[in-house]
Amino acid sequence: MPMTKQRNKGCNAVDHDLSRRGFMGGGLMAGAMAGFGSLLSPALAKEMKGQQKQILQVYLQGGVSQFESWDPKPGTTYGGPFRAIPTSVPGTQICELMPHTARKMHLLSIVRSINLRTNDHNQGMLFMEKGRPAGTYPYVGSVASKYLSHPNNPLPGFVHITTRGLSGETAGFLKAQHAQMRLEGVKPPKHLGLPKGVSEDLALRSENLRLQLNQQFKTGRSRSLIDSYDTSFDQARQLIKRTHLFGEQDEKELDRYGRHWFGRRCLLARTLLEEGVTCVKVTHHGYDTHAENFNFHVEQLDEFDKTFATLLGDIEERGMLDNVLVIVYSEFGRTPKINHKFGRDHWGTSLSVAMGGCGIQPGGIVGSTNADGTAVKDREVDAGHLFHTYLQAVGVDSQQNHEIDGRAIPIGDPVTEPIKELLL
Amino acid sequence: MPTFKFPPILAAAICCLLPSISAVIFAQESAGQLRNNIDSEILAVQDKGVGNPAATSEDYTFARRISLDLTGRPLTVTALETFIGDNSIDKREKLIDRLLASPQYARHMQYEFDVLLMQRLPKKHVAPDEFAEFLRQAFHDNKPYDQLVLEILTADGAEKSNRAASRFILDRELKREETVRVIGQVFLGRDLQCAQCHNHPQIDDYFQQHYYGLAAFLKRSYLFTDPKSKVVSIGDKIEGDVTFTSVFTGEEGKTQPRMLSLSEVIDPPADKEPYETKPDKTNRGVPKYNRRLQLGPSMISDGNVAFRMNITNRIWSKMMGQGFVEPLDLFHSANIASHPVLLRTMADALRDHKYDLKYLIKEIAMSKSYQRTSVWNSDAPPAANKYYTAAIKPLSPEQFAWTLLQSLGEVEKQTKAAEATLLSKDKDFDATTAAGQMLVETKVTAALKRPLEDIVTVFASQNTALKFTASANHALYLINGPEISQRLATGEGYLIDALLASDDDAAMIEQLYLHMYSRKPVPAERKYAQEFIATAGEGKQIAVQELMRTMLCSAEYRFVR
Repeated sequence: MPMTKQRNKGCNAVDHDLSRRGFMGGGLMAGAMAGFGSLLSPALAKEMKGQQKQILQVYLQGGVSQFESWDPKPGTTYGGPFRAIPTSVPGTQICELMPHTARKMHLLSIVRSINLRTNDHNQGMLFMEKGRPAGTYPYVGSVASKYLSHPNNPLPGFVHITTRGLSGETAGFLKAQHAQMRLEGVKPPKHLGLPKGVSEDLALRSENLRLQLNQQFKTGRSRSLIDSYDTSFDQARQLIKRTHLFGEQDEKELDRYGRHWFGRRCLLARTLLEEGVTCVKVTHHGYDTHAENFNFHVEQLDEFDKTFATLLGDIEERGMLDNVLVIVYSEFGRTPKINHKFGRDHWGTSLSVAMGGCGIQPGGIVGSTNADGTAVKDREVDAGHLFHTYLQAVGVDSQQNHEIDGRAIPIGDPVTEPIKELLL
Repeated sequence: MPTFKFPPILAAAICCLLPSISAVIFAQESAGQLRNNIDSEILAVQDKGVGNPAATSEDYTFARRISLDLTGRPLTVTALETFIGDNSIDKREKLIDRLLASPQYARHMQYEFDVLLMQRLPKKHVAPDEFAEFLRQAFHDNKPYDQLVLEILTADGAEKSNRAASRFILDRELKREETVRVIGQVFLGRDLQCAQCHNHPQIDDYFQQHYYGLAAFLKRSYLFTDPKSKVVSIGDKIEGDVTFTSVFTGEEGKTQPRMLSLSEVIDPPADKEPYETKPDKTNRGVPKYNRRLQLGPSMISDGNVAFRMNITNRIWSKMMGQGFVEPLDLFHSANIASHPVLLRTMADALRDHKYDLKYLIKEIAMSKSYQRTSVWNSDAPPAANKYYTAAIKPLSPEQFAWTLLQSLGEVEKQTKAAEATLLSKDKDFDATTAAGQMLVETKVTAALKRPLEDIVTVFASQNTALKFTASANHALYLINGPEISQRLATGEGYLIDALLASDDDAAMIEQLYLHMYSRKPVPAERKYAQEFIATAGEGKQIAVQELMRTMLCSAEYRFVR
């Protein structure tokens, strides 16, 4: 590349290129080894890497404005001040606040016709996660953990990187091991590590003893609760072995991802996906823009855009996108009407979600809103349809049932169905 | 590295080695007691092909189970040894009576009902501690359960005397979605949430009028903020009716207050002056006829069978690990109870005994069904709702917190400190009297407030109806959490000091088993523990600490066996 050569003037271009290439190659190898290779047999690691479908959820908490993101309406009554820009998909435009994502649009599809019929944060969030407007059901991440996690994968199946909010109960009626493991930002999980004075060898003996005690206790007793309990210790031990994942993050990578919290979290998300966590959810807080909607979206999406596009690009470059479903969503959108504080309020009536990767037709647009963006115009769907679509995309037949203690419970809401045109 | 393999025969060996069960335990049965109905009805619902129910548990297991179930913590080792050494035939009944009379019973029931009723909601208007104390006092006094519910549903929070009880409604701020739903769930065994917008699509007998019938009791109530004190309480008006429309059929309906399918509670003819205090900015509205005050009496009325069926099913589930009806809040005609006749018999007996929960609990505890072992001798145990074996029950976060602090020696340490303080203030103080025990219990609980809350926070879940969760976070806490590490440290007067002071490893391991599992080790276990200590390689102290930690992390510790 001429530009590179120009810039390298003054030092030995050949050496530079070589060392750079060597570094890159070594780095990638080391990364792969530190992943599955360190704990699983090479064959199993290969098998898992080849087959395990994964999910990356990017949750824009508070409700991103569809106008300022996936469904811009420039020049209309409620459109706001921003322009729409072309993307890597001819004919598809998104808001100018997401230029980096625009260049990756050929990897994503947008659903623009979602009507949730709720303007409540919690209800909207639960609907988006569970695919049901009410009731005790597992989150999509917990369902993925149950059906997609390789039986020999000892890591938690569903990890949520966030900092705020209560620790929700995500597993519903599924076994406890499928509940989300919550990480406080990029900080290591609390109490990670071995007690003072306990060597790894002793810890291993204790673990063996614990398993034997439990084996004895299980004899003649109903196993399922005890098995779940055992799994939580397996997961803990695996995390203790991976304490390094939560250490200092690579400076060069942080340059690419951004040094803000969201950048750091997305970098950790990439690591966790590489480690084989089935569903990784990253929350980007702060979209509840009842005042100064436009200024806040400039700031928020500036953080989101470059970081998300970098993460998406990395997943693609690593050849993982065929197996990783990527979802960007909120609990609702924002009102067309701009209030007197230049804010937009809660709006579950017409919002958008972007998704791509595993099992999803790229570069598509499903449904639309009317000219002013005040209502869904065609192909109306709700979070039930999305839930089916996500699971179908990763190969889980959401129209089948969970078998729970002899009861059959439909995986997805039977009154909705997958968005077929999105599925590969 | 040595591995400790338990021979498969070990489980059987444990059963054989432990003291055999005296056949006379149940000798004092008298006909017509509810405990006998329980056993005969459970045997009547035969589980074909599985043979006879499991045998009665031996004394160690019974002692751990009954103590955890009634007081939320295991027996102290001293109390356990006293019980084991007692040779009288009615010793189990005596233990049940003693535990039911203890201040720890009231505390345990306080936790159970606080979590059930308040679902771990944070403070809004009423101090959570006051509500908790109101509950503790009620269980200490063995207040009839219907009376307790009446007080909770009637309290307006305007008087000091009913301020604590008002938390149930006041801290939900009369929000219909929350208040109506929780009333249906916890007092009627019915989650009516889906009947809010339409008759329930999957459940034939949950109607929109049930939901709105409950809503109608509270429709005329509002939050009143006293302009001077800024204290928020519940005021009432004389207008406000409930109408509803089905989102499915568009059909419109209206209802006066009503309890499920019972008849509507009709307002009396309006008075010329309908208010005792007219609502305005400075005065809380108090009508002469108050719809809200009909909720409690309608709830506990004899005709409302759902009320007594619900509490009976919940108490049964607490004791047996499995409700007759599961989920506990889905009573309906297509989800029939595993033992419908027994459930009704028990519910009616509870009513006939003036809603004396201690009566119900004792009858369950005295039944053979409750006292069975949780071990099944052949392949697959029968379904849990056959009650042929005892279920293993996960400890609630509160039970687990107390159990951890007790078996590490913290409770004993605090008990001694509390007794010393009380004695220093009053030389006639007697820790063996009921009053003395209560003073000590209050002091110990206060002293342990922080660690208890910390442990509960780790293990509690937002969904309080969930019986068990286990995440890597929990496991990490048990392996390396501060509340445990601190109490495994030496020189602080915890159990570890007493264990390390012993030269006799066999005796030390026996003590350890008694403190951790409320039983003695079988010889094989003793041997493995000795080997673990001998080969740990980091010195005896760390080895014993690690052995304790490992037992804390084991399933036998986490579940009631």
